[in-house]
Amino acid sequence: MNKRILIVDDSFYMRTMLKNMLTDAGYDVVGEAANGQQALEMAVATNPDLITLDVILPDNTGLDVLKGIRQQQPDAKVVMCSAVGQETIVNEAIENGALAYIVKPFSEERVLEIVGSALQGDGSPA
Amino acid sequence: MTAREQEYRELFMAEALEYYDAMSRHLSELERNPQDVAALNELFRLMHNLKANARAMGFVDMGEVAHKMETLFGQIRSNERTFTGSLVPLTFRAVDILGNMIRAVGSGQEAVDAKSLLENLEHLIKGEEIVETSAPQTEDEAESDAARKLELSDLVYIPVKKLDNLLNLVGELVIDRDRILTLAAELGHPALQATARHLFRISDDLQYSVMDVRLVGAGVLLNKFPRVVRDVAAAENKQVELTLAGQDVQIDRNVLQLITDALLHIVRNAVSHGLEDPAARQAAGKPAAGKLLITALTERDDVLIQVQDDGRGINTEAVRRKAVRQGMLTADAAAALDEQEVWALLFEPGFSMAEQITDISGRGVGLDVVKLAIDSLGGRLRVNSELGKGTTFTLVLPTSIAVKGALLIELDERAYAVPLLHTDTVLALPNDQIFAVGGLLMTRIQDENIPLVPLQQLLYSEGDEPLPRATRADLPPDAGLHQILVVSYNNRRLGLLIDRFLRQQNIVVKSLSKPLDTIDLFGGVTLLGNGQLCLVLDVPALTRLFLAKRP
Repeated sequence: MNKRILIVDDSFYMRTMLKNMLTDAGYDVVGEAANGQQALEMAVATNPDLITLDVILPDNTGLDVLKGIRQQQPDAKVVMCSAVGQETIVNEAIENGALAYIVKPFSEERVLEIVGSALQGDGSPA
Repeated sequence: MTAREQEYRELFMAEALEYYDAMSRHLSELERNPQDVAALNELFRLMHNLKANARAMGFVDMGEVAHKMETLFGQIRSNERTFTGSLVPLTFRAVDILGNMIRAVGSGQEAVDAKSLLENLEHLIKGEEIVETSAPQTEDEAESDAARKLELSDLVYIPVKKLDNLLNLVGELVIDRDRILTLAAELGHPALQATARHLFRISDDLQYSVMDVRLVGAGVLLNKFPRVVRDVAAAENKQVELTLAGQDVQIDRNVLQLITDALLHIVRNAVSHGLEDPAARQAAGKPAAGKLLITALTERDDVLIQVQDDGRGINTEAVRRKAVRQGMLTADAAAALDEQEVWALLFEPGFSMAEQITDISGRGVGLDVVKLAIDSLGGRLRVNSELGKGTTFTLVLPTSIAVKGALLIELDERAYAVPLLHTDTVLALPNDQIFAVGGLLMTRIQDENIPLVPLQQLLYSEGDEPLPRATRADLPPDAGLHQILVVSYNNRRLGLLIDRFLRQQNIVVKSLSKPLDTIDLFGGVTLLGNGQLCLVLDVPALTRLFLAKRP
């Protein structure tokens, strides 16, 4: 069974790129959310093994979405996606239970490395 | 540029132009009301996204302008500065220049010079005054600038759901069109007939245009395989030289989606079972790296996707033995099967050749999953193999799933449709070309014995009892010619005795809804021009029923 991943990012381009990287590596991308509300709903509906979460979203901050997800699904594994210069938000996210963060622009190796190690403990991707 | 790079570029462009429009809008809002927090937040977010996307694409200057703008809007947001003074016209100009940069990406023009803009933005961020460098615009420049701002993107992104809906509507239209054609012919009114013919042409064009919109290059799927193959090869200690071809072959996006898992299975199978490890290859006089070729090509109305390896080939005898050992058939029956029939066993449920379950393939899931996916599309799976030379799997897929070519046949005054994908030959045979072997009627085509069975027996027989044993005495002495439709499924041919052939026609297949969807001899239903309902025969299901019930 492939690991199932939910992507949360408000940019279609970013979601597509991330999705391609992850599916190429043998993960199942089970959903793509473009805002915080969708993210919370889809996290429940798809119950993914991992969520990649952008820190800036149109309706909410990634940090609030992270808190919301952790509240409704305490075991959820979340990896934050951020650009350079957002270290404060990232630190706060880690304190709130995010497992790791990926810095944009993504390098494929880095994404797979971080996603892989965040998922570790219960199997490999393919 | 690779197909994927091209795809990313188009996605980037479409989204960036959207951002540009939204930026211009929010900037005007902010100018009207500098306290508009929503507009400010949006500007910050859009600059942030454009920065990240531009950097991912390698557009350094665009990323830098967006980055500085994001910083500026961040400062305004945290009340370090206000949206007033020289900052206002500069942000407008910066957005215009971003727009020019985005459009330059699309038209392949040379990059826009952003040097003075970047310097000025840097001054502003540091709290210094800006340096005015650009000459005032002439009237012409202002006009062409205004025209450019009104330019709309040439690309439209459409959710697949909307296209599905459109295609369904076209399907309904085609059915009504056929009815009108039939009615016009019955009424014999010349003007009505002419209009009906025109309607036919127009709706035909419409149908193909809608189908065309749904087509994507096969590369969308094929380009995912280099990575998959690399991973499987690494896990299995194999060396694989992968070649892709035919990425531009057009195919319905939904067909591609439905075969993704099947193709993945076949490719993994080819690497882990088909190709030998480097030592074994060298011992067999082959180069250490195995060759794997994934090709998409068109053949008439179908799209073929082939996975070809130069590995060990299928050991037909081993498959025979394995099938007997797994209790699928008796040793005698297995011995009577020809090569193609033995290979077909690979796609039977529960059959697996894996001696040891590896991490990548095997795991008890056999090629039957592949077969199921292809069947559900009305496609076919072909296999060809030569021991020691390699194996080729071919998926034969419909270009589009909505409209299928079908042969209409009649049985007991009722019309049935058989998808052309599964029809092999049409025969009209006199009694003396039909013989009986082991309780089955047979005929011989091209050195192959084809079993014949009345379609009526398959459709009407209930329960699990085998079909009645047939002898030549069952054939009426003066029957004239028997109409036989030879269908093929999984390399097996079967002759169906029917009453008569009606015609060939394009049909729009609708799936059966509940509770009829459990009747698995029918793949769906279609409406004929005369308004008559016509069941679509499911050839794979009929073949399986025949095999289960053969006397």
